[in-house]
Amino acid sequence: MADLKRQIIAQLNLKDLKPEDIGDDQPLFVEGLGLDSIDALELIVLLQQEYKIKLASAEEGQSVFRSVRTMAQYIMEHQPKTV
Amino acid sequence: MYIKAAAGISPQVSFEQILQSPASYSGNRLNCAEPDYTKLIDARMIRRMSRIIKMGVAAAKDCLQQGDVHDPGAIITGTAYGCLADTELFLSKMIENKEELLTPTAFIQSTHNTVGAQIALMLKCHNYNNTFVHRGFSFEGAMLDAITLLKENAVENILVGGVDEITDTSHELLSRFGLYKQHPGANINLYEGTSKGTIAGEGAAFFLLFNQPSGNGYAKLDGMDTLYKPSSSGEVAGFIHDFLERHNTRAEDIDLLISGENGDAHNDKGYKELKKQLFVNVATQSFKHLCGEYPTATAFALWLAANIIKTGKIPAHSKMKAPKKILIYNHYLTIHHSLYLLSAC
Repeated sequence: MADLKRQIIAQLNLKDLKPEDIGDDQPLFVEGLGLDSIDALELIVLLQQEYKIKLASAEEGQSVFRSVRTMAQYIMEHQPKTV
Repeated sequence: MYIKAAAGISPQVSFEQILQSPASYSGNRLNCAEPDYTKLIDARMIRRMSRIIKMGVAAAKDCLQQGDVHDPGAIITGTAYGCLADTELFLSKMIENKEELLTPTAFIQSTHNTVGAQIALMLKCHNYNNTFVHRGFSFEGAMLDAITLLKENAVENILVGGVDEITDTSHELLSRFGLYKQHPGANINLYEGTSKGTIAGEGAAFFLLFNQPSGNGYAKLDGMDTLYKPSSSGEVAGFIHDFLERHNTRAEDIDLLISGENGDAHNDKGYKELKKQLFVNVATQSFKHLCGEYPTATAFALWLAANIIKTGKIPAHSKMKAPKKILIYNHYLTIHHSLYLLSAC
């Protein structure tokens, strides 16, 4: 999850944050990290670029991007298996 | 038309610094002396902003604070190049990622109207918002729109500004066109010698315009005008003569001429001829050694003129009495000619 936090910080240019500043279960949007809809698009790109995962629908994003833990779980479940 | 507030981000730290000792640069590129943006812009907004957006939004915020205005009647911006850094980033990603997986931020913020839009977002201002992109007349387009709105009494006040940035890529491309000096000296010696080319510049300057005087403003803007691609220096002289006549002003009434020489021998020839022809006994102040050459450099010139009138101090003439009337004459690459007439208020 530390790697994922680093990737989120880099993708969203959250220069003032370190990975340890983001709680595993801390909400990413609104009252948590304060991310917004443009950040959601950036996170979709991050999933595709880093993990080759394409979200099935925009609605899915709400549950996937709830926290770093939910993102990590989604990645574990959907990452293509390497041969 | 009255300039109630003026704020600028330029290669010079402040007007006071220009008076004391202008920042010295070597090379053919003057980059802005950028302030601590966190004092002017919400940190959550800054993280997405490229340099030009930060420069524009910070200058606008400073201007609004000076004028104690929180909801301007209109926000009008002029920019020739727009948000180059974001455009370059977006286009590079398109190539790298084979037109897939494009990050939205650079795309959204690559458009020319991003600075005006970000100011509106910051203020939650839903009023008239427009951006003019007309090469060397970009700032003039914005000013003309602002003046027209104020003359129509459509709004009480307007935030208007000009912004442009240099990036490594734009500097390299414009260098290939031969725009910049191959062997530049110090910027303060820009007008010495007869070599080809100028020095690149950038900046953001914003103004709060009112149609009524406020008592503590900078200057009265008596008028402005533009001339596109004149066929001769005689046509330029006629244009200036007619402009002054329309404003009941004679050349000898001008206390200070702020002129846009940029150190390129061919470019500056017209300025020399005009001074001999129309402004023989008028004190002059050049400004491109302070900000470099760029399409919206007249926004810097207007900021400089407004500060000179407000403080009564002229960088090039420390012993001269406070000027009451200033004429700015500039042309961008001999194509886009513009005039601004200001007086003390």
